[in-house]
Parts: sequence; C-alpha cells; structure tokens
Amino acid sequence: MLMCRGLAEIASDYIDGELSGRQNLTVKMHLMMCKDCRTFIGNLRASSSLLSAHSAGRPDEEFLRQIDERVTEALKNRATKDSESD
Amino acid sequence: MDTAARPELETSLIDDLKRGDATAYHRAVREYSPGMLAVARFYLDHSSAEEVVQDCWVTVIDAIQKFEGRSGLKTWLHRIVANRCKNKLRSSNREVATDFSESLEPELADRFNAKGRWDLPPKLQFHESADNLVENGALSDCLDKHLSALPETQRSALMLYEAHQHKSDDVCNILDVSASNLRVLLHRARQKIFLMVETFQETGEC
Repeated sequence: MLMCRGLAEIASDYIDGELSGRQNLTVKMHLMMCKDCRTFIGNLRASSSLLSAHSAGRPDEEFLRQIDERVTEALKNRATKDSESD
Repeated sequence: MDTAARPELETSLIDDLKRGDATAYHRAVREYSPGMLAVARFYLDHSSAEEVVQDCWVTVIDAIQKFEGRSGLKTWLHRIVANRCKNKLRSSNREVATDFSESLEPELADRFNAKGRWDLPPKLQFHESADNLVENGALSDCLDKHLSALPETQRSALMLYEAHQHKSDDVCNILDVSASNLRVLLHRARQKIFLMVETFQETGEC
C-alpha cells in the first residue's frame, strides 16, 4: 500500500506525468483519501510554477555588456578577414 | 521576446546571426545567456562559468554558419556550453559530484512517522502563485537566496527544466545525467523550494 512518505518520494514524477499508468492510479487513490497529501502535492506544484515564473540566475548587465564587447570585436575581425580574402 | 515560442522569429534571428548582425547578437546574448549560464554552473564555479559563456558566444559567430536547425537554437547553444565545460573539466581532472541516493530532503523525511504517515503535514495551502510573485518582492528575493544556495547540479537541472522549459530528454543530454538521476535532482530541488515557501508563508521570514 502506498503510504504518505512513499507518495512524497514520487511526487515530482506524478506532477510531471512520469509515472506508469498503474503507479499513477495508486497515487490518485491515495490522494482521494488523504487531505494532507493533496495539500502537499498542491504546494509542490505551486512551488514548481513559482520557479517557472521566476527566472533566477539572471546574469547582471555588466556581464552581458562584456559579452557584447567581445562579440562586437570578433564580428569586426571576421569582417576584416572576409574583406582581405575577397 | 521569447523567440523559442515563435519559430518564425527564431528563424529570422538565426538568419540575422549568420549575417553577423550586431543588433541580433545583442538581442540573442540577452535572451540566451541566462540559460547558458545555468548549464555552465552545473559544471563550473561562477567565474569559470561566466568565462565559458563569453567564449562560447565568440565561437558561435563562426559555428552558426553550420547551424542547420535540427534542434532549436536554445538547445544548440546549451550543448555548445556543456561540451566546452566538459572539456574544461577533463583538462583539469575535476569531477562533478552528486548524490542521487535519497529522493527525500532530510527536513521533509523527518516529518513522517515510522509507519510512513505524516507527523507534521503541510499546514497551509500555498496562496503564493506565479501571478503575484512579481508584486511580492520579499518572496522573489527569498527565492533568489534559496536558489543560489542550492547545490549547482540541482539548481541547473531545475532552471533548465522549469525556467527555461527544456524537455527532460534535452536536459539529460545537455547535463549528461541519466533520466532517473534527473528526476532525483528535480525532486530534491523542488522540495527545498517547497520548504522555503512554507516557512515564508508561515512566518513571513526567509
């Protein structure tokens, strides 16, 4: 029988639709009877969608500007090389 | 603008990049660097990861000429970053260490009794949704703080899957992890975020 702990262990697989049909059914049956696990799954799902909305690890503008500089220089070098080989 | 969601925009961006259009590069650097950095951080420390992403953009200028569009631009860029990181690790003999043995966070595992039932069940339903995240600066800061505290492997997997919306297969491919290990990485990282939001909602503190 699937206990709450067992369900918590496979909760992300359930949310992402990665369980087999049989496992999925077992989780659904448990959820029908267990309010705590329904809250847990709901909250884990909410955490996951918070993350989709929150694109963290955004590089700072200074870092992006450095890339721009290197790209601009490399583009210039490339254009010079192209015109020399023409 | 998210070009990945609009194939015709991505095609025109690729054409502009092939022509060496500086404005197109400026735009692409801003759109794709966050994901590229997430990939690099899976393998390397912060400053080496930034260095690799910079180097990759320079490589892209020539490499894009041969890009045939068999994968999306984002996946292609992420693979370039991953390959470069792997080479760098090989040359310095560094390995990425990850523990895939436990699927539950210890803090969550302690909330079940010996029979596997909840001892300390989640008390509240989260009312924080993606919609009010933008308005809730404190929650947003708290997420930032906890995300940066995650082990790099978990954070990169989470970012590629959730924030950059890669499919599982792509994430496995880019990060060179098995499908089952990716499931563990994602689940552990989500639990940490779950525990963080729970504390935040109950106490208002991060």
